[in-house]
Amino acid sequence: MVRAVGRHRGALLVFGVAALVPVFVRDAYFLDSLVLILLWGALSAAWNVAGGYAGQVSIGHAAFFGIGAYSAALMGTRFHQSPWLGMLVGVALSLVAGAAIGYLSNRLRGPYFALSTIAFSQVLLIVASRWRAFTSGSEGIPVPFRPGFATLGLSHVAWVYMALAVAVLYWAIQVWLEHSRFGYRLAGVREDEDAAQALGIPARRLKVIAVTASAALTSVCGTLWAQYVGFVDPFYVFSVDLSVRFALNAIIGGMGTALGPFLGSILITSLETYLRATLSGVKSGFTGIYLIVYGVVLILVVRFFPDGLAGLADRLRARRARAQA
Amino acid sequence: MDPARPLGPAQIDVFAQLGVSTVLLGGIYALIAVGLTLIFGIMRVVNFAHGEFLMLGMYLAFWAFTLLSLDPWFVLFVSIPLFFGIGVVTYLLVMKGVIHASHNVQIFTTVGLSTALQNLALVLWSGDFHTVRPWHAATPIRLAGTAFNLSQVVAFLIAIGLTVLLVLFMRWTHTGRVMRATAQDRDAAILMGIDTDRVYRLTFAIGIAAVGAAGVLVSPLYAVYPTAGLQFVLLSYVVVVLGGLGNMMGALIGSLIVAAVEVAGSYYFGTAWKEIFYFVLFIAVLVFRPAGLFGQRGAENLGV
Amino acid sequence: MLTLERVTKRFGGLTAVREVSLEVRTGDLLGIIGPNGAGKTTLFHLISGYYAPDEGRVVFDGQDITGQPAHAISRLGLTRTFQIVKPFGNLSVLDNVMIGALTRRASTREARGDAERVIDLCGLGPHATARARALPLALRKRLEVARALATQPRLLLLDEVMAGLNPTELAAMVDLVRRLHGEGLTLIVIEHVMAAMMRLAQRIVMLHHGEKIAEGTPREITSDRRVIDAYLGEEFVLAEA
Repeated sequence: MVRAVGRHRGALLVFGVAALVPVFVRDAYFLDSLVLILLWGALSAAWNVAGGYAGQVSIGHAAFFGIGAYSAALMGTRFHQSPWLGMLVGVALSLVAGAAIGYLSNRLRGPYFALSTIAFSQVLLIVASRWRAFTSGSEGIPVPFRPGFATLGLSHVAWVYMALAVAVLYWAIQVWLEHSRFGYRLAGVREDEDAAQALGIPARRLKVIAVTASAALTSVCGTLWAQYVGFVDPFYVFSVDLSVRFALNAIIGGMGTALGPFLGSILITSLETYLRATLSGVKSGFTGIYLIVYGVVLILVVRFFPDGLAGLADRLRARRARAQA
Repeated sequence: MDPARPLGPAQIDVFAQLGVSTVLLGGIYALIAVGLTLIFGIMRVVNFAHGEFLMLGMYLAFWAFTLLSLDPWFVLFVSIPLFFGIGVVTYLLVMKGVIHASHNVQIFTTVGLSTALQNLALVLWSGDFHTVRPWHAATPIRLAGTAFNLSQVVAFLIAIGLTVLLVLFMRWTHTGRVMRATAQDRDAAILMGIDTDRVYRLTFAIGIAAVGAAGVLVSPLYAVYPTAGLQFVLLSYVVVVLGGLGNMMGALIGSLIVAAVEVAGSYYFGTAWKEIFYFVLFIAVLVFRPAGLFGQRGAENLGV
Repeated sequence: MLTLERVTKRFGGLTAVREVSLEVRTGDLLGIIGPNGAGKTTLFHLISGYYAPDEGRVVFDGQDITGQPAHAISRLGLTRTFQIVKPFGNLSVLDNVMIGALTRRASTREARGDAERVIDLCGLGPHATARARALPLALRKRLEVARALATQPRLLLLDEVMAGLNPTELAAMVDLVRRLHGEGLTLIVIEHVMAAMMRLAQRIVMLHHGEKIAEGTPREITSDRRVIDAYLGEEFVLAEA
């Protein structure tokens, strides 16, 4: 037990601090940033299951996010159901969609697969933005706020702990992947599919499972986000920018590591909120600036720091260990 | 301005109109795709940012038209060397380092480039939709029961002209042969003393020049906005995959097929569902015939 | 243990393997030799499930495994290595072998125990925590064998594990293979390094242009006219004499 705590020092620090913040800080803006950091982190962790651990890089995860968001919004506004039911519906739909994408991952190699995921999310965008009758088309859907846990109408502080719970859960799922039989075999598939098959691993099946799970996890967060933000805009929830963002956090923090997505989210989301705060008066087109930065950061990180922040931390730790030895 | 929609109240022969639409559209797609298939076939890199260079071409035409009253046809001549240069710079700054890297690194590098360029346009020029309306965009051409505007026809002619030039270049010049050799076998090319770095640089520059020129050509035909390139990226890849990667003739024919699907699909189902057709076609090709119509079997094991 | 009945594989117009039949009994060490392009590795692909034969049958332990996928065949106890080694580069040696062990084990703890034993057996102990990518070729080849061993195969197919090794490494690998055989493992070994083959194999099969053109003891093979003409050359015969 002690050893486990020691091994997960970083996570304990990150989540511990997050848990303590609402106790000391009451500023709504700050708490809002924290919720977003945790939610984006969780979303990147969900992406990481497919991208980092299974090696199936998708640039279309916004598809599942949007499904989750729309499920909540539509369930709430059209059918007057609890968003929890919306979450279940979203998960069910995402499982199906995820399985289909997972099937594609077995037919298409790397860049082709990535392309098809983009195409898929764009198709959903078109459907959502044009199906006026059902989804209110391009106007989007406002999500009603009804106070209470059953309707996911929570206070800012409650949202922090909600997001934290999800974040810790997703972090734990990734840790499980690193130590479980399934996770080990998945790593083999990621490294070399042919070799993995030669060792008795049903590679294709594992890939589908990973992608499907990743889709469902993403969908859950989509539902939560919709309830939190209160509005679902098809051009945002299905956007390629959003898909890139899920991947970006994980890459910067360390693809294929449990804490990586959260480290990345801390960095990127903080950067975004800072830029938004300082530039909001300057020009309406500022929104693009941080995205330009993301694009450039992505190029640089992927080339020069492929192991991300977590990798850097590991290297520093290793160097310190060697120095002491 | 949707090329598939007929102009004017005059009676038109539907099939002839669709047919000519297909050809006109196909020509433009060919110019976009031919650059992409070169990059793809020779460098084995999937350039997710290809559509963004098209978008930049469109903006070039827009600003030249709005600020300097220059017609896009004139801008075209400037755009080719300009985008060639942009291609060289992009290669040196971004692509060169990732040619030999893993697929993931290449994917994220060009995705990052795409994001950066899109948002650069957004920041610099706002997200407003712009249009380029030179005189020829409203000049109707009626022939044998079809109706089009001059912009479309000339765009097609120039696009085909440039594409043919490119094909001839690849087939008849020494440099073209060197490039094709590198596409077929990188290691053998190195052993033969070919400077593959120079080949890649040239390939990328040509590819970008082609798509930048295409952007200028289509500026009177489509709305100009920062994410205008997105719609073309997917269809370009459908064309390239359909034709077999690296196969220029395949790209030409693939363009016609994709254009036909789009024109027919738009006519019967409406233009909104374009992307869905691309998606279906894309998946269908990759699942049933990944090497494309003209590629070699087994060639679909990308870059391996 | 393993029977191939007139197995054939075609690629377009090329017949890579043509009506090859052979039999391997439990405890055998069968060698396969032949010039490049003879179809040796293709034969391994056919046995282990990477390719499905166009004609013929593959029977393992009385069970027809023709056309079954590679991972299913591996679970039945038939494991192969790759001619160009395929380590899980970013993972440690221990992790690599553990993944092999997990074919048989439900818990990672048990798999780790298995892996550590196999690593010691193969002489990789000092490198257990090293990243596979960082290993030199000789150790990678050993890792390839160790990983396959961890799946507890009853029949192991080794594809040119000796290639690229210097004399010391070669001797160590031969020793390892001999030890494995001595402990009851049935093996089929593809090799170009004839010196190793002569020392290990009980029987040798020669493939040429996809066909089996000779089979017999090492002595018989090396005196077979067809084998000498197609592959070995006179110099080899003289050297061995």
